[in-house]
Amino acid sequence: MQVRPLNQSALGLRPPFRYKLQIAIQTPGDISMIKLNVNGQTREVDADPATPVLWVIRENLNMPGTKFGCGIAQCGACTVHLDGEPVRSCSTPLSAAEGKTITTIEGLASEDGALHNVQQAWIEAQVPQCGYCQSGQIMSAVALLEKNPRPTDAQIDEAMAGNVCRCGMYGRIRKAIKAAADIDQPAKVEA
Amino acid sequence: MLTFIRAVALSSLLVLTACGADPAPGPVEQIIVREPGEAAAVASAEAPADALLAQGKAAFANCAACHTLEQSAPNGVGPNLFGIVGAGAGEIAGFAYSDALKGSGIIWTAAELDSFIADPTAKIPGTTMVAGAIADAAKRQAVIAYIDSVSAN
Amino acid sequence: MGKWSRRAFIGAGVAAGGALIVGVAVRQGNPIDELGPLLTNGENEQLLNAWVKVDTDNVVTAVIPHVEMGQGVYTALAQMLADEMDADWNKVRILEAPADMQYVSDSIARDFLAPDLQVPAWFEPTVAGGILELAQAMGLQFTGGSYSVRATGQRAMRTAGAAAREMLVAAAASEWQVPESEIATADSMIIHAKSGKSVPFAAFAHAAAEQSLPAKPKLKSPDNYKIMGQPMARHDIPAKVDGSAIFGIDADVPGMKYAAVKAPPVIGATVESMDATTAKTMPGVLQILNMGDFVAVVADGYWQAQQALNTINAQYSKTEGDDLDLDAIFARYATSLDEAGEDGGDMQTEAGDVAKSFAGAATKVEAEYKVPFLAHATMEPMNCTAWVRDGKCDVWSGHQAPVNARQAAADAAGLPFEDVTYHNAYLGGGFGRRSDSDAIIMATRIAKATGYPVKMIWSREEDTAQDHYRPSATSRFRGGLDKDGRAVSWDNIHTHLFDPADAPTVPYYNIASHKIRKVDVPMHLRFGPWRSVDHSQHGFFIESFVDEMADAAGKDGYAFRRELLAESPRYLKVLDTAAKMSGWGSALPEKQGRGIAFVPSFGSIVAQVAEVDMSGPKPKVTKVYVAADPGFVVNPDGFTAQMESGIVYGLTAALYGDITIKDGAVQQSNFHDYPMLRIDEMPEVEVALINGDHERLGGGGEPGLPPIAPAVANAIFAATGKRVRELPIAKHDFA
Repeated sequence: MQVRPLNQSALGLRPPFRYKLQIAIQTPGDISMIKLNVNGQTREVDADPATPVLWVIRENLNMPGTKFGCGIAQCGACTVHLDGEPVRSCSTPLSAAEGKTITTIEGLASEDGALHNVQQAWIEAQVPQCGYCQSGQIMSAVALLEKNPRPTDAQIDEAMAGNVCRCGMYGRIRKAIKAAADIDQPAKVEA
Repeated sequence: MLTFIRAVALSSLLVLTACGADPAPGPVEQIIVREPGEAAAVASAEAPADALLAQGKAAFANCAACHTLEQSAPNGVGPNLFGIVGAGAGEIAGFAYSDALKGSGIIWTAAELDSFIADPTAKIPGTTMVAGAIADAAKRQAVIAYIDSVSAN
Repeated sequence: MGKWSRRAFIGAGVAAGGALIVGVAVRQGNPIDELGPLLTNGENEQLLNAWVKVDTDNVVTAVIPHVEMGQGVYTALAQMLADEMDADWNKVRILEAPADMQYVSDSIARDFLAPDLQVPAWFEPTVAGGILELAQAMGLQFTGGSYSVRATGQRAMRTAGAAAREMLVAAAASEWQVPESEIATADSMIIHAKSGKSVPFAAFAHAAAEQSLPAKPKLKSPDNYKIMGQPMARHDIPAKVDGSAIFGIDADVPGMKYAAVKAPPVIGATVESMDATTAKTMPGVLQILNMGDFVAVVADGYWQAQQALNTINAQYSKTEGDDLDLDAIFARYATSLDEAGEDGGDMQTEAGDVAKSFAGAATKVEAEYKVPFLAHATMEPMNCTAWVRDGKCDVWSGHQAPVNARQAAADAAGLPFEDVTYHNAYLGGGFGRRSDSDAIIMATRIAKATGYPVKMIWSREEDTAQDHYRPSATSRFRGGLDKDGRAVSWDNIHTHLFDPADAPTVPYYNIASHKIRKVDVPMHLRFGPWRSVDHSQHGFFIESFVDEMADAAGKDGYAFRRELLAESPRYLKVLDTAAKMSGWGSALPEKQGRGIAFVPSFGSIVAQVAEVDMSGPKPKVTKVYVAADPGFVVNPDGFTAQMESGIVYGLTAALYGDITIKDGAVQQSNFHDYPMLRIDEMPEVEVALINGDHERLGGGGEPGLPPIAPAVANAIFAATGKRVRELPIAKHDFA
């Protein structure tokens, strides 16, 4: 079935839910300034080095795209890239990210706002339902394709089995990864 | 540290509403440690003098997703680690170990722990510890020292 | 009343002060005065009616009185409205209705829709407070029960769109002094071909609002649909791939602090005391609260709050549930069923003389089935942000019934409904869990105690242990077959009835005598609606037993069901389609099997064939073929996604779902002990859609789920000869 594309100007309006206000969280106790590189920007965070990166991203840096799902690296909703590697940010302490490069879902699109191929493929395959796990799914898929531009089904299974989707959109995720792989490698060598 | 308790009588919350619904009960006990925006009192507990232990404590956050460390705290996804240094493999009560780990016969010396944490499934194929490996040797050393120090206290 | 009358529909809506307000502009003295400011962004907009507005830039905004939890409701309902209005789909916007009584959707009122639909029985007790009296009578601004498209869409959105279109046409006819019949509409334009006039809707938005209400807006027939029936891309998806979609957990309020909570492991117990000695000294901690029924720690950050909470040693009161284990619960079911015997229990339906037909049956079949408790395990753990101050309360969350959430917050804050503002966001999974307001109440109580805004987040462990569970149940059957292997007797007694009432019944199967009874077994756990509600249990029971009867009759499951459906062509077509897609009857390799199941639910008819491969260490479902007839499919891609989703949700439960109880407490805590289906176990799913009756639409969110567990169990039987009578499948050894 060919899904009718969406007119981008017709995106839904929603009542305001987030105030546009940066909240600096003062953390008493074991505090220290930790330097992070997040989505290409250097950020300094005042936080306990034991704080999982997830909560630093969400609360201190006010970037809510990365989600909390289980807290024990079992569901993948919190997946971000640490120096290009997909990690579960709920179980990665801030201290482990010091001096490293973090990429979150907010940092995938290019500077002019063009979506990453994987994000585009996700829209074309109409992957998300509730959407809550999708930041993590997309981060895992991007990491997979960066290492392995033409993954087999088994390789997709292996790379994506850490990401739970309760809406069960695994078939569409597989389809979108394959579609994105084709975008990444337009020249098909076999013939 | 400033701590005071606000006594709350349940009846004081009975503000009748227009539609007469009973409001849900307020707190039975309310401990106010600090108001938002107030600076925290300087921690009275002595900071760990040893930088190694501090580093170990921070690194343990990664382990804490699955392991507890306080004495007699319940097992989590992984076993409670209080007193693990020096114990035999598979000996923490109440934890369903893999056969592989239970049958390994390992005594958890710092060195054994070190090689296990570096790559658990390589050291004991079949272990259920499939996450939480620490590649950094210095960090492993710090974590083990921290675990040992907590158990020794 | 029975029959839906458009005149009554529109008239009633306006007269009642707002539940459905068609074609009334916002102006002084209008009953929707209060509503207008909530929907309009500025002076350039005219509110045409409660479900649609037209901007001066000719953008048509569909106001959706339902919440988006992934089911695609924004898009499907907007399609229905836009099509009737002849709006340009590329200029349609979508706005979720505010949690306001004006949006209580009387469109799902029983009076209009009975006997097709019922307001879910489990939902009624949650309605409280005088201000909701209207809602009690009329149904609610509620998303669940697969109602949105078939009720709100079919009755309200389409009517609103058609009414709006007629009022625009009337305004143009009046201005141009031409008969309405000469005016056409297309792509958000009003066209008078004779004079060559063609103007955007917006040109007449104001004038249209002055027109009288059309008594009977004319709805399109299916051959005139342009937008309905098309696989339109979902409006909510772009924000869900770039991290910008805002869920309840993403609420951000100035000065907000964070709370972690823990309730007693045994539901119903209270917190007798807490030792917070360590927690008080931990970094970031602001307050520690014993709320009586739970403990909360408020801190600068969520992680700090949770770390401090983990150190609190609380003592809980003793309850009657303390000694209860899962085995004891099932033993209670058995005792109650034994006591009811052949004639006891509450009779639900009865036809013919079951005792006689059973006694005279050539072949008798008896079986007992059990299903476990299940948690919802939404990806987004329960959470809510609340701020109670100066006699006002604001609450942010993702809830399936925003009006209920608002009322729950009002009760918890001790404030009148009108002083509470409820802000709804995307739901990170609903599945019925987010129709309960427990999290709303807890957060509001915490925020009231602190005086500043607090975001409460449940840990996954808390979310698993404090769910409102899908109930476990036992069901017993006795069936009789005549000498030709036809089903003549059906006797079922079970321990669970919640909603919908038709779940245990099989009126579509032609069985001359049948009776269905239930027994009540009290339980200390909290129950809640779980995707497809009672059909999740009874679908498995019924379709497993039908298969056992087929086997006893020496027939295959498909042929046996064909006989039972022989007089129902619409049902038969669905069954035949699924069987044909699967190549039913063709050979499969050894240790592989095919199973079929057929469950009509929520107005939609669904048949599934599952294929399993039993050659590996654990059962693997390789392929699922689905045929579904929801009457008319508004968005084929969205409906297909709902079928895929229902299958995975149901298959996860069938294979693994098992909430167990020990000493009164739930033993599972997180995804390691409450496992989920993952991508490596995902079967291929093939879906065929059938438009069987465009006048009576069925739901999409739930009907895909009930057939999967019995289809898989029946396939396992075909492959191994072993009958799965107890879920989950993971319990069984097929070696």
